[in-house]
Amino acid sequence: MMDTTAAPLIQLESVTKVYTTGAIRYEVLKGIDLAVRRGEYLALTGASGSGKSTLLNILGCLDVPTSGHYRLAGEEVSRKTDLELAHIRNRLFGFVFQSFNLLSRYTAEENVALPMTYGGLGRRERLEKSRRLLARVGLGDFTRHYPTELSGGMQQRVAIARALANDPAVLFADEPTGNLDSKTGMEIITLFGQLNTEGVTLIVVTHDTRVASHARRVLSLSDGRIIKDEQNTVVEST
Amino acid sequence: MTPYEYLRIAFDALAANKIRAALTMLGVIIGVASVIMLVAIGEGARTYIRTELMGIGTNLLIIVPGKTETTGMGRIPSGIQKLTLGDMRALEKRATLIPAMTAVVVSNAPVKYGNRMRNVEIIGVDQNFEAVRNLHVEIGSFVTKADVDARRRVAVIGRTVRAELFGEANPLGRMVKIGETKFRVIGIMEKKGVTLGMDIDDHVFIPVETAQEIFDQEGLTNIITQVINEKEIERAKQQIRAVLMERHAGEEDFTMVSQQAMLSTMQTILTTFTYVLGGIASISLLVGGIGIMNIMLVSVRERTREIGLRKAIGASQRDILLQFVIESVTLSVAGGVIGIAFGAGVAYGVKAAFPVIPVDVSAWSVLTAFSFAFMVGAFFGIYPAMKASRLNPIEALRYE
Repeated sequence: MMDTTAAPLIQLESVTKVYTTGAIRYEVLKGIDLAVRRGEYLALTGASGSGKSTLLNILGCLDVPTSGHYRLAGEEVSRKTDLELAHIRNRLFGFVFQSFNLLSRYTAEENVALPMTYGGLGRRERLEKSRRLLARVGLGDFTRHYPTELSGGMQQRVAIARALANDPAVLFADEPTGNLDSKTGMEIITLFGQLNTEGVTLIVVTHDTRVASHARRVLSLSDGRIIKDEQNTVVEST
Repeated sequence: MTPYEYLRIAFDALAANKIRAALTMLGVIIGVASVIMLVAIGEGARTYIRTELMGIGTNLLIIVPGKTETTGMGRIPSGIQKLTLGDMRALEKRATLIPAMTAVVVSNAPVKYGNRMRNVEIIGVDQNFEAVRNLHVEIGSFVTKADVDARRRVAVIGRTVRAELFGEANPLGRMVKIGETKFRVIGIMEKKGVTLGMDIDDHVFIPVETAQEIFDQEGLTNIITQVINEKEIERAKQQIRAVLMERHAGEEDFTMVSQQAMLSTMQTILTTFTYVLGGIASISLLVGGIGIMNIMLVSVRERTREIGLRKAIGASQRDILLQFVIESVTLSVAGGVIGIAFGAGVAYGVKAAFPVIPVDVSAWSVLTAFSFAFMVGAFFGIYPAMKASRLNPIEALRYE
């Protein structure tokens, strides 16, 4: 549950992001201030090109701001080395993508175990934990299946299990329901709700109004700025 | 991550594209196999020459008439005197470092028995030849001192001569004609085969003075001397020089060739030969390496999304770099091992099928080929791996 007393886990201060392709300078983010506390369920919404995905990538330490400060648990991220950033992505964060990004040559349990490989866990422990995680997302019977043998919704659940592999503090999702039909999309939304009640911080980029309506806080971006930041007083029960 | 984990990832990735991995490996396999095979041939030739020369004896010093190598300010010889039996007697008396020596006269003549004839190298020898040259009679007896002194017309024949002239018949005691002179066959040499391109079995040995008489030669073709031991060769040369120059009016009109010198010259030539062969074969290994680089570049491009994903879930640049370098090293080392097995198999197969072709798979060629395969994998893998490790994860994840 959201903890309002402690210092924010994530803090952005006047973060900008500028891309330059040839002579064209493109300002994607124009000064973002944002604080996210542990246990929050945050939806980032906005039209395409509003900068919400870029913001998510910066928050997830996959990209670096052009200027401004990003403090993660009080520490300045821009000072971290590649190795430290990799460690943060591995231990603190989990990622869920629109297109699942499962490796087709690995089974479901091996895909889920992947982050644990970089975390240094032994193979047997990894696979044991993968099976537990797959059971948690409702795929206990599909541990040995290859991604191509699973439906889209199942693949996304495998991806969520993978994101949870190292018990991350924050789970980032970029359009997690974008490639799914409404019924399976709803299953994912329900799963996210459950995870949040279990204490996982969620930051989700979405077009899907249903996802946004389940989040506790909704941020609207437009043209690189936050134009709305509101708490969902009435969270739709799942 | 442990090295084992990287290896596992490499194997999984290669197993996902078996035919491609096999074809890429084939380049290295061919390269390594050809290095192994060609070096085996070179090495085989080297050991062959060595054992052949060792068999003759490394403490031999052969004196031939005429000065073939001039050192420093050589005086122009006023006239070349022949090497004679008298020279040899003097050496026998005065050259203390040479316990054994033998006089040799070489000529060619047709040898006839009945209606069969063969042109053979006739070698005039004395009783010491057997011991000095390490060639022995198998049946009957060799030329004796009495045969030499009495200029007897006796002959010891080689195996080839025997087979050609007599077939299965027993030649001992038979009369053969060498040129126009009749000789009694008193012995048959043991089978020696081809030594340094010379068929030892295709010779006829007769007493040296008999040879001088029938071929009308005063001089000797050479004197083969056996020095007490290898270390004394230089001092033995001095003794010989002193004795012979005194007899030849102060002229050094003869040359001493040591077996040791011949051996080292041969060794140098054949070592160079081996390196050249190995070098040529290495080029194909290099081509194999380029094949690896090519396929790794394709693989990095194909797996761009995978790389992006791995980075997103916690792989560092170092992890990605190692993953791809280990993958290419796995390819090249596996190719290397198969290539070594294949090359050695062919080399030994050749040896088994054609015992005359000398092959010798040496440990150093195996080790060199293996480490070269390893280095080729690492060297040609590093560039694609660096490309992979430097990919921007967001762009990589967006890659279609």
